[in-house]
Amino acid sequence: MMAKETLRSWKLWIGVAVLAFLVLIPFLGILGGYLQTLGFLTFLYITLSTAWNILGGYAGQTSFGHATFYGLGAYTTCILALRGVPILLTIPIAGMVASFYGLLWGYPCLRLRGQYFAIATIGVGEATRLLMLNLDDLIKNNHLLKGFLQKGVLTGGATGLMLPTPEDISAYATGFYYGVMVLMFAALWVSWWVKKGKFGLGLFAINMDSDAAETVGVNTTRYKILALMLSAFMVGISGSIYAQYVFYIDPQTVFGFPMSIAMVLMPIIGGIGTLTGPILGAVVYIVVQDRILTANLNLGLIKLSLSTLHLLVYGGLLVLIILFEPKGLLGVHRRLNNWLKKGKIGSLMTTGKV
Amino acid sequence: MSAILLAGLYATMSYGLALIYGVMKIVNLAHAGVMMWGAYVAFVLITQLGINPFLAPLLIVPAFFVFGRLLQRFVVRRIMGAPPISSLLLLFGVWLMMQNISYLVFSGDTKAITTKYTLLTFQWGGISISVNRMFVFIVGILALVALRQFLGHTYMGKAIRSTAQDSDASKLVGINTSRIMEIAFGIGIALASLAGSLMALIFAFDPDFGRSHLLKGFCIVVLGGLESMIGVALGALVLALSEALSVLWLMPAMQDFVSFALLVIVLIVMPGGMKGLVDRFFSK
Repeated sequence: MMAKETLRSWKLWIGVAVLAFLVLIPFLGILGGYLQTLGFLTFLYITLSTAWNILGGYAGQTSFGHATFYGLGAYTTCILALRGVPILLTIPIAGMVASFYGLLWGYPCLRLRGQYFAIATIGVGEATRLLMLNLDDLIKNNHLLKGFLQKGVLTGGATGLMLPTPEDISAYATGFYYGVMVLMFAALWVSWWVKKGKFGLGLFAINMDSDAAETVGVNTTRYKILALMLSAFMVGISGSIYAQYVFYIDPQTVFGFPMSIAMVLMPIIGGIGTLTGPILGAVVYIVVQDRILTANLNLGLIKLSLSTLHLLVYGGLLVLIILFEPKGLLGVHRRLNNWLKKGKIGSLMTTGKV
Repeated sequence: MSAILLAGLYATMSYGLALIYGVMKIVNLAHAGVMMWGAYVAFVLITQLGINPFLAPLLIVPAFFVFGRLLQRFVVRRIMGAPPISSLLLLFGVWLMMQNISYLVFSGDTKAITTKYTLLTFQWGGISISVNRMFVFIVGILALVALRQFLGHTYMGKAIRSTAQDSDASKLVGINTSRIMEIAFGIGIALASLAGSLMALIFAFDPDFGRSHLLKGFCIVVLGGLESMIGVALGALVLALSEALSVLWLMPAMQDFVSFALLVIVLIVMPGGMKGLVDRFFSK
C-alpha cells in the first residue's frame, strides 16, 4: 500500500516537472526556439490525435478523411482573415465550419459499417482535396458565384493562400505556443469527459456491437454523428491555428492524404480508444518525424538520408502493432508491467489481462 | 472509344480486389501498393533490361502471385479471426511500407515508360486507336476470361468460389480453406500487378500512384457487385464513361473528383450495386 502511494506521488511530481518545463520553454529559449516549435507541433498533433480518437477509438469508426476538417479549418481562417474578419474570431468559425462539413458527409457515410466507412472516407478526403484544388477555376466559369472571388482568388488553387506576417513574430509564436497548449488540455478534457459519461459509454457500445447497442437503446446514428462533429470541431480549430502559425497553406499540405494518415496512425501507435494513448502516439510520431527528417546515416559506403524513411517506419509500426499488440504502445507497457509483476509476485498474477 | 478501352483495364484491377474480398472478407488496401510496384517492375524490365513491353506482364504476374501468397501466409493469415477493420489497417501499413520502399529505390519523381509503341496508332472505322491502349484492353479482357474459365471449370476455381460463398461449409465438405485463401490472395495480387504493369504503359506514375486507382477499383466493385464478372466489367464501363463525360462537361482536373464522388454516392445509395438496383426496381 505504502509503496503504491509513493509511486503515485512520484508520478505526480514527474508530471508537474514536465508541465513546468513545457510552460517555461519559451522563456528558456533553448536551441534558438527549436524546442518551442517542436512543442507547438507536438501539442497540435496531440489535439488532432485525441480528436480522431473520439470517433476512431471510442466509437470504432476508422476515418481516413479527417484531413478534410483540418484543411477546412485552415482555409476558413485564411479566407475570412483575408476579408477582414478578426483572426481570433475565425477560430471558432473554423471549428463550426469543419463540424458542419462533418455533418454533411458524416450523415450519409456513417450509415456504412466498418470497412465500408473507412473506404468512403478515403473517397471523401480525396474528393474534397481535388475540389479545393480546382474550386477557383470552377467558380470562374460560373457567373452566379463570381462575386465570391476577391481579385480572382478564393482558395488560390494549387498555390494556396498566404496570411500577412505580424511585426513581432517571436511574441506571436510564443502566444500561439500557449494557445495551442490550452487547446490541447481542452481537447484532453473533452476526451476525458466523453469517456467518463453516458455519451462515451454509448460510443464504446457501438464499437463493440452496433446492433446490440441499438437494442439497448443507444441511438447509434446520432451518437456516431455527434462524435464525428465533435472530432471535426477540434480538428477544424487545430487547422485554423496551424494556418495562423505558419501563414501559408495549400491544398496538398492541409487536405493531403498524409495528414489523414497521421491522424490515423498516432492513436493506433499509442493505444486506440484510451485517453493517454493518443498523447503517447503523437509524441512518438513527432519525435520520429523530427529525428528522422533531420538524421543522415553515414554507413561508410552508403550515405543514407533518413528523411525518405518515415513512411516505412510508420507502416512497419502499424503492421507490428496490429499483428502483435492491438492496444498499441500502452498495451506493450501494460504487458511489460504484468511481466515484471509476475516475476515478483509469481502465482498471484495468474491471469494475463488483455 | 478510349473509355471502353480503359474499362478493360479497370476491370482487371477491380477483379483482384473483388476476389480477395469475396474469399477472405477483407479490403485489400495494399492493392494500391501492388499496382504501383507492378508499374515500377514493368518500368525496370522495359527500360533497363530492354524487354518487349508486351511480354513484361508474363514475367510480372507469376512473381507477384508468389509475393501475394507469401504476404498472405506470413502476415495476413495471422489476423483472420480479428475484426475486419484491423485487417484493413494492417494492409494499409503494408501499403505505406511498399510506398516508402519505392520512394527509396526510385525516388519520388514521376516516371513514364516510352517505347516505340507509345505513339503508334491505327485507324479503325474512322477513329484512331492507340496500339498501347488496344493491347492493354485485350490483355485485361484475356486475363478476365482466363480467370472465369479457371473459376468455373477447375477444382481449385470451384473451391475458391465455394469458400467465397461460405467458408465454414466449405471446410465441412473437405476444402482446405486456408490454402484456398492463400491462393485467392495470390491471384488477386497477381491481377493487381498485371493492372499496374499495364497502366504503366499508358499513364505516368509515381509512388503515390495506386491510391486514386484503388478508389476507382472500390467504386467498380461496389457498382458491379461482388459475385459476377459481368457486373465488374459493367461497373468498369460505367466508371470509365462517367470519367470521360466529366472531362467533356466539367474540366479535366475534376475527372478524379467525379470518380471519388461516385464511389461515395454508390456506397451510400446502392450498396447492392447495379444488380441490387435492378432487383429493387423489378420487385416493386
